[in-house]
Amino acid sequence: MMSSENMSQLFAKLNDLKKVFTYGEKLIPVIQSLGEFMKETVPLLENINKSIAESTSKIPKASNQIQNVTSATEMATTEILDLVDVLNADLESIEKCVVDCLEKEKDKEDFLNSLIPKLNVSDAKIFVDDFLAKNRSTLNLNSVKDRIKKMKDDTNSITLSLQVQDITSQQLATVNHLIESVQDRLASLIDDFDNTKLNENENNLNLPEGASFDPNARYSKSVVPQQEVDSIFNKEMQTASQAEIDKLFN
Amino acid sequence: MALKFLIVDDSQTMRRIVANSLKNLGYEDFVEAGDGKEALLKLSADDTLNFVITDWNMPVLSGLELIKAIRSDDKMGKIPVLMVTTRGVKDDIIEALKAKVNNYVVKPFTPAILREKIDAILASNGGSN
Repeated sequence: MMSSENMSQLFAKLNDLKKVFTYGEKLIPVIQSLGEFMKETVPLLENINKSIAESTSKIPKASNQIQNVTSATEMATTEILDLVDVLNADLESIEKCVVDCLEKEKDKEDFLNSLIPKLNVSDAKIFVDDFLAKNRSTLNLNSVKDRIKKMKDDTNSITLSLQVQDITSQQLATVNHLIESVQDRLASLIDDFDNTKLNENENNLNLPEGASFDPNARYSKSVVPQQEVDSIFNKEMQTASQAEIDKLFN
Repeated sequence: MALKFLIVDDSQTMRRIVANSLKNLGYEDFVEAGDGKEALLKLSADDTLNFVITDWNMPVLSGLELIKAIRSDDKMGKIPVLMVTTRGVKDDIIEALKAKVNNYVVKPFTPAILREKIDAILASNGGSN
């Protein structure tokens, strides 16, 4: 015969069991909705995986296209430089012609002036001066010479502006490197999905050792960067020189 | 002594621009190299090269490594070197100075700046190297 103490223990256990059932009843809908959520999430994850795989497969093409852009701009820049060289050579030869014409103008004027005393005509000087005034091309020739100089300066400016090609090619190389780093990360993510394990391997986006491009390359026509460089250079150079002097005395 | 320049840059465009600028400044004698290694080969092969203008970022051997190689060489250790680069950060300039570069120009440069730096190097070297 069970004692009253045993009976109360039994009731307590039954009460606990009831609580478990009650909790279970409450938990079942949660588990059901979790199941529903998983059903919906798995295809979504598969879609994400597929999208990542597709994006990753497109990256080499993007990278190649960037390289193609760099090659194309370099080729175009070379063509422009070739044309500028031809233009400069032409300007050089035109300038020589103009200088030659100016010298001949001077010779012509000197010759006519030297004739004045030899001519026994009272108005000879007036005639010569009048003739020279009407037929003088010195002003025009000097104006052409000035324009040639300006055109040469302009072609030099074009040449110098083409430094932008080198600077942008370095910027593009940086973008290319970043794209390739993203590709590595995405590939690593795909591996994680496939292996259903979380890989905490962090791929960094740092630049490789000995990169042949400057990630901070920028095109600025301002003279300020060079002034800053000069200031640092001169300051550091003075420090170095002083350090060398100190070394000699110590 | 006439100046004979070695222009070192992996960008063909930049080599031409530097060469054109030198021509405009009246310097006609120069040769080109596409990286530091090629530059060292040309310097070893040609005793008449007496001024180097180099970029920093280049494949195979960078401009900084080129300067260090030049300075550590008994024969060509005193050749003046002018760095022409996009790198304008203070730490880079200090690093170049430590490698014993003679002067430093940031891209994009103008012929006036190039002339100023070449003249400054020549003046500090007593007009010759």
